[in-house]
Amino acid sequence: MKIKLKIWQCLFLLWLIILIVRFEQLINIYKLIFSWFILIIDDSKAALAQVNFDLADIFISGLLFILFPLIFFFFKKKLLFLFSRVSFASIVLILLVISFLFAPLITNRNPEFYKNIGMTKLLPPLSAVNVLHFEKENMQPITSLGKFISLRDEVAKKSFNDNIEYVDSTLANGKIIYYQKGIQKEIDNKNVIFENGKPLITSYTFYLGSDQFGRDVLTRLVYGARISLMVGLGSVFISLLIGLILGFLAGYTGGIFNTIFSRITDMFLSFPIIFLVVLILALFGNSLISVISILGFAGWMSLFKIVKTEVLSIKDKNYFISAKLLGLSKKQLLTREVLPVIIVPIVVNLIFQFGNVIIAESALSYLGLGLGENYPSWGSMIQSGQEYLSSAWWMIFFPGMILILTLLSANSFGLSLNRKLNPRLQND
Amino acid sequence: MSKTTRLFIKRIFSSLIIIFLIITFIFFLIRLSPGDPAQKFISPSLSPQIAEKVRESLNLNQPLHMQYFGFLESAIRGDLGVSYNFRRSVVSVIADYLPFTLLFVSASFVFQLIISFILAVKSAKKLNGSFDKIFSGLALFFYAVPVFVTGVFLVFIFSELLNIFPSSGLKSFDFEDYSLTGKALDYLYHMILPIVTLSLVEIAIFYKYLRDNIEDVYNKLFVLNLRASGIQEKTILYKHILPNAINPLITIAGIELGIMLGGTLIIEVIFGLPGMGRLIIEAVLTRDYPLIIGCSLTASVLIISANLISDIVKAKVDKRLLEGSLS
Repeated sequence: MKIKLKIWQCLFLLWLIILIVRFEQLINIYKLIFSWFILIIDDSKAALAQVNFDLADIFISGLLFILFPLIFFFFKKKLLFLFSRVSFASIVLILLVISFLFAPLITNRNPEFYKNIGMTKLLPPLSAVNVLHFEKENMQPITSLGKFISLRDEVAKKSFNDNIEYVDSTLANGKIIYYQKGIQKEIDNKNVIFENGKPLITSYTFYLGSDQFGRDVLTRLVYGARISLMVGLGSVFISLLIGLILGFLAGYTGGIFNTIFSRITDMFLSFPIIFLVVLILALFGNSLISVISILGFAGWMSLFKIVKTEVLSIKDKNYFISAKLLGLSKKQLLTREVLPVIIVPIVVNLIFQFGNVIIAESALSYLGLGLGENYPSWGSMIQSGQEYLSSAWWMIFFPGMILILTLLSANSFGLSLNRKLNPRLQND
Repeated sequence: MSKTTRLFIKRIFSSLIIIFLIITFIFFLIRLSPGDPAQKFISPSLSPQIAEKVRESLNLNQPLHMQYFGFLESAIRGDLGVSYNFRRSVVSVIADYLPFTLLFVSASFVFQLIISFILAVKSAKKLNGSFDKIFSGLALFFYAVPVFVTGVFLVFIFSELLNIFPSSGLKSFDFEDYSLTGKALDYLYHMILPIVTLSLVEIAIFYKYLRDNIEDVYNKLFVLNLRASGIQEKTILYKHILPNAINPLITIAGIELGIMLGGTLIIEVIFGLPGMGRLIIEAVLTRDYPLIIGCSLTASVLIISANLISDIVKAKVDKRLLEGSLS
């Protein structure tokens, strides 16, 4: 059977799946956004004080989700790649982008969430755990701030939750007795939520298993995709800026500037960059921003070379000279005359650079120099999985496979783009 | 003085300048970073005078430029200072760790060249055949996969599941009882997984280059001429195509040798091997300033000399490239 799906159809399929599966969560998010606007009218200071990264994250992904069809509808003329045939590589990339944009919608728990480690640690994939629910100790909120906060606690999953307990089995007679790993515990009846005269027990499935702290591997993978994409895109953007500007200046002005920067490029290329990156991160501390900027600074050399050689060859062409004589500024020359010529090699180079940065980021996380232990990154997941190699293969297998799939698809995407856009290769 | 020697001396001189610049850059980088290496040796209950003495013994109390000139002065004499952690001279510490890395890298380098050469020749015999297609795909795959993922997966498969190779370390627990050949075999036994891990990526790169070069040369007119003259395919391949195709590989080999030294960094951590990579990581994480400088000096000397050697070999093989590769 041959699949003849187009990329936009695939995107919409995923969109529909998320819409159906996470309908409740979505409605809650829109309620939350609505109550936030009410709060702004009531008490703007308190509303602004509530804004933090997690909340902004949920707002943006919720809004983007509803705007997704509209964006497609308006820009479909420009985004021609949406109409090309789906390949394996593009499916992987689409999944990555979807989990980058809609991570809070795809999974409904915090990547750092853990509870009852003894019950949940190192569970194999597809194992389900019973969850006993307790009643929340809150009064009916009256103010709009109280309403907002109670809604937010429902939508934004925290890394802790006192209202549930993982249990093996329960026994209800007057008092609730529940078992955890054979240890008997008791609790008052009044706190437990009842349904049809029995305590409410749901089950939670760890689809890809859990790690040594009982955290869900699938959730961490989804959030790890965010980190990898964010680091990849951010540092590629930084290298693009540096390489483009320096390369243009070196090619355009030539002379001593060219010589100095070419020498520096050679120096950096002849030195193992990973060592320098490790050095700087270990000495100056590691955070998301520093990892992105250092990997960005470490990767501009190949772009610099491409841009410089192209500018040197364009510089003496007639159209460039006439544009210069027309009085275009350097910035205009770069954006109007140079960029359209070199956009193809640059884009292809950027895609390979993107793969390299993801490798570098996960290697750094593996060495313990990434974004810190608490950020779910694929590299740090592999590193912590290595300790449990004999008992929990899923801890390294899934992040490793995802990493390999991402890199392979980025690579083949770059190759196919090069084949498609590069007229010189097409003639062969 | 002949032209070759002049170019050669010029090249060595510029390499020395690059090494000097790298060392200067790293020296100021680590001195300007936050954190105090003396902190580890000073407890809060220590009196300030003694604390000052500790700092003085580590040579950290002087102003920055004085430290730098002092470092340069002793570095010229071949003294790179005393490591804070090992309490020994940096040179002797590096001398302990360097041979392993050199052996490791060169062994896997030879291994890579042999394997990729065999594979490339085999797939060149029937271009676009099934063997060629399978190995081109595999090369693309291993090129994309990061070293530490292959390493961890190989450990998982061969140490955990099949239990054939040891997962870490360099010696068996009963190492001392072995005879000399037994010791060498034991080393080799422990090194198989690391060497394969380090080599898979590089084999992919070498294979791809060599195979594409061979394909390029096959399409040239002189091959057609040779065929028309009735010379055997085998002779054409070994006598005429391979010598022409191997040349560009030498440049790549020089660059890859440098990249491999970076790759050992992670592999030595995965497999717990006593080499330069682990030494560097340890030195950086514990802020052992003299050791960091010493390690980076060693690494840059190694890499730059690898590039230099590959350029010289290339110039020797193809005299036309002399001017371009040595200047």
